[in-house]
Formats: sequence, C-alpha cells, structure tokens
Amino acid sequence: MTPPAGDGLASAPPTPAGHAPWRRVTVGDPGPEFEARPPGQYAFDFPDTECDGWSTADLAVRFASVRGAKHRYYRQPRQDAARAAAHEDTRAVVAAVADGVSSATYSEHGAVEACRAALEQLLHQLSQEGGKLDFVGVARHAAERLRALTRWRLRGAEPARGEVAGLHATTLVAGVVRPHAEGPVVDVCRVGDSGAWVLDTSSGRYRALFGPKGDADAVVVSNEVTPLPHVPDPLEHITARLADHEVLLLGTDGFADPLGDGDGQVGALFTRRLATPPTPLWFAHLLDFSRETFDDDRTLLAVWPYPGTGAP
Amino acid sequence: MAETRGVLLPAYVLADESGSMAPYQQELSDGLISLCEGLRVEPMIAAKLRLAVLGFADDVQVRLAVADMRTETSLPQVAIRGVTNYEAVFDDLLSRIPSDVQWLRGEGYKVHRPVVFFLSDGQPTGGDGWRRPHARLIDKSRTPTAPNIIACGVGDAQAQTMVDVATRDEFAFVAKPGTDIGQAVAEFFHALTASLVASGHALNSDSPQLVVNRPDQFSMAIDEVGQ
Repeated sequence: MTPPAGDGLASAPPTPAGHAPWRRVTVGDPGPEFEARPPGQYAFDFPDTECDGWSTADLAVRFASVRGAKHRYYRQPRQDAARAAAHEDTRAVVAAVADGVSSATYSEHGAVEACRAALEQLLHQLSQEGGKLDFVGVARHAAERLRALTRWRLRGAEPARGEVAGLHATTLVAGVVRPHAEGPVVDVCRVGDSGAWVLDTSSGRYRALFGPKGDADAVVVSNEVTPLPHVPDPLEHITARLADHEVLLLGTDGFADPLGDGDGQVGALFTRRLATPPTPLWFAHLLDFSRETFDDDRTLLAVWPYPGTGAP
Repeated sequence: MAETRGVLLPAYVLADESGSMAPYQQELSDGLISLCEGLRVEPMIAAKLRLAVLGFADDVQVRLAVADMRTETSLPQVAIRGVTNYEAVFDDLLSRIPSDVQWLRGEGYKVHRPVVFFLSDGQPTGGDGWRRPHARLIDKSRTPTAPNIIACGVGDAQAQTMVDVATRDEFAFVAKPGTDIGQAVAEFFHALTASLVASGHALNSDSPQLVVNRPDQFSMAIDEVGQ
C-alpha cells in the first residue's frame, strides 16, 4: 500500500478480481433475498446505504453503514450512522459510529446527531493547545445534543432523561487516530455495546479494544445496553497503537455479532478483504454480506496506517 | 465470543389435552395450525425461533419437537386424554429445556431465555405437587435456562393459579367470564403468534424484551384474583 501523492489523491485501490460485481457476498447459509421496501415516508434523509472513503498522507479511512434485512423488510430506516473527518493541523483522523436503539422513536436521528456531536467536540479538542482529549466531555456533549434535539421535537419543552432516551437513544463509539513515528496512536471511547477492534491482517486476529457485551459465558444471552443520553461513570476508553499490518475497526453490533471472536467465516472474510483499503463502494458491498439470522443494520469504519509515515 | 450462527428464541407451547378440552379439540388444532402458518409467513422471524408444541394431560407428549418453522412440514396433532397434571408439565420442562438449549448451543447458536406459553382449562389434579418442580424450573440460580412463562386459563382454570404459574403477574391471563371457550382458545393462539413475532423483533434489538400480547376476551389474571 502506498500513501497518497502530495496532492492528497490516493491511487485507485485494486478492483477485487474473480467476483461477479455486486452479487451479494454470502457467508454460510444466506438470509432471504428480496427487494427492499421503502422506510417510512419521513425517513428520506436516511438512505439504505451510506459509504465514504479518503486518505490523508498518513492514514486511509473507509466507512459504510447499511440497512439490515429486518429494516428493509419491515419498512424501517437504517438506524446506524458513521462519520469521519481529518483534523488538518494535527493530521489526525476523528471518527464516530453509532447505533440508534430500535425502541427509540427517532433513533436514526439520534445516531447521526451523536456522531456529529462527537466529531465536532473531538475536532475542537484537537484544536486546543496540547490537543488533550476529554472523552467524558465528548460523551456529555453528544448527550446534550440529543437533549437539544428532543427539546426541539417537544417544541421547546425541557425533556426528562427518559424522554430523550425514548426518542433518540443511541450507542456511540468515537475516537481519534493520530500519526506517530512509532505507528498511529488510537484513542477511543464508547457508550453502549458498539465495538472497536484492531485487526492484524497478517495473522487474521481481531483484538477487541472493549469487553464483549453481556456475559460471554452465560447460557442465555441478553442484548441489553445502556446507551446515550446516559453517560456512564467511568466511561470506557482505551489507547492502542497500530502497527503497519494492523487496521482499526469501529463497528456496531450488526457487525460485531456475526464477527464474534473473529475466528470464523466472517472474520476470515474481512481479514482477506481488508488487507488493503478497498474502494468505499466495495467496502459497503462487503459489509452488506448475507448470513442467515443476522439481519441488523451494520456499520463499520476502518482506518489503515500507511507504512513508513508518521509524525516525527 | 466465538462466531455464532445466530441467536434463537426457544418457544414452547403447552396445550392442555385433558378430557375437559374434548369439546374444543377442533379449536386447539386450528389454533396450532394458524400458529405454524403465521410463523411461516414471517421467515425472518421464524429463522430466529425454534418452536416446540407439547400436549399435556396425565403426562407430556411431544406434538412438535423443537422445530425451524421455515422448513417444518408436519403439523402438530393434539390427542385428548386423561387429567390435568401440572406436575408432569414442570417435571418435563425441567429436563427438556436445558437439554434443548444445550443442543442448540452445540449447533452453534446462542439462545435467548426460553419462553413457555401455557394454556389450560382446568385446575391441576394432584394438589400442589406441581409447585416444587415449577419453583425449581423458574429459579435462575438453579436452572440457568429458566424460562419466562405466560399462563392463560380458560374454563375452570382459576386466576390465582395462572398468576402462580406465570413468571410475572402481567404474564397471567384468564378468559373473561362468559366467554366461549372455543373462541378463547382461538384468541390465545392469535395472541401467541403476535407475541412471538413481536418478541422476535424486540429480543434482537438493543432493548431486548419479551412482548406478550393479551389475548382478546382475556383479562389480566391478577385483576381477577379474589373476585
């Protein structure tokens, strides 16, 4: 992989060979195939699929968010979101992924708003003297923005926390990747059960940066999460460093659940396909893989380091 | 968490086959057929359910073993017989549910807490003998796969008994006085199908909850206790 030329334009990633274009990738037994139904008439701001991708001199970014089969079938909008930006002064990438809680009435709005708020706050913090990160401040800012959105929806009435959650509850995983001479440094926090991993593309190992949701050994499972506007104390956050052959992944449980530990078919698929940054459209197509029973929205954001680059 | 094939909800329908149900055998059969058909037209929900139908009277007999309703071709057939032995029900579930869950996990699935839909038209024969296995079954410290139980009573089934069988007060229902029992049985299955479909959505969301729809012509049993 080569870094972009000085004008900031990356070379075109290779087109995956030997694949019929756009035939849906299947893993194990596929889910049902059908033409997606439209979401509700006022969900026009939340397209079925969203993707983006770009590179700085140090880092390559791809993200995609795809509507799950359940929402495609039952006429609901995609309730996941992702956003990323390059902080120009520090050459850092800031990124956020959110999973609107399905029981919240306008969770798709909550997810986007939480991502926006997290990015704005992280960019602001990086621009301050020393660029010190305050993740509690990020989470509180996102929670406050959900409250403001709820207040607007209630025509100015001050909402109780339950009302904010009832309308806009969402998970959030957000962080910063800063170039460094010894490899990019990742700082990331989360509220709720969205995940972050470092994928070693040489070994295929996925290192989860946060613990699994629920009790991994429990005989029966529970998906219960405590999302924004609740800001947990302490807030989960972690720092990691990326080696040349490692990729940072931020994702919602629509990706995390089929991935598991990453030692199965889904893990192998993404290890193989993410060895280098694919085109953003292919990244979205890959994420939209079909696997029986996994019908949740999926969002994945990946950051690759360019070997040999980094801040002095 | 190793890679899984998905997260399933094991659901058990316990249908009273005691002699007093004889006049309503057709409604019972029709209700089971409508349940199976209702799940077949919801393949995405059915993919995440495994349904068992058990008939109970003197003992428990399997009418449909834990089945994937997308591919199951047989329909459960009820057989009216014997008395209303609740003790046999809970003894059976005490061994059946952990065994089924273990099997599903062995197949590569994770499972939600199982759910039991219990329909009876009579008071338990054999006194309080059922309470001991029932208590063990719903005690999560002794039975990690302890199910949620929804209890619906028709005919002679008493409200307090349904409250005692159900795992939460709001999971216990009795047919309203004067309701035609055959109609009540049909409504039980309508509500059961709707509950399973709604739970199939909700349990796989970020705010998991079992959704229990009150059948038409039924009231909350807790509201009827002592009346």
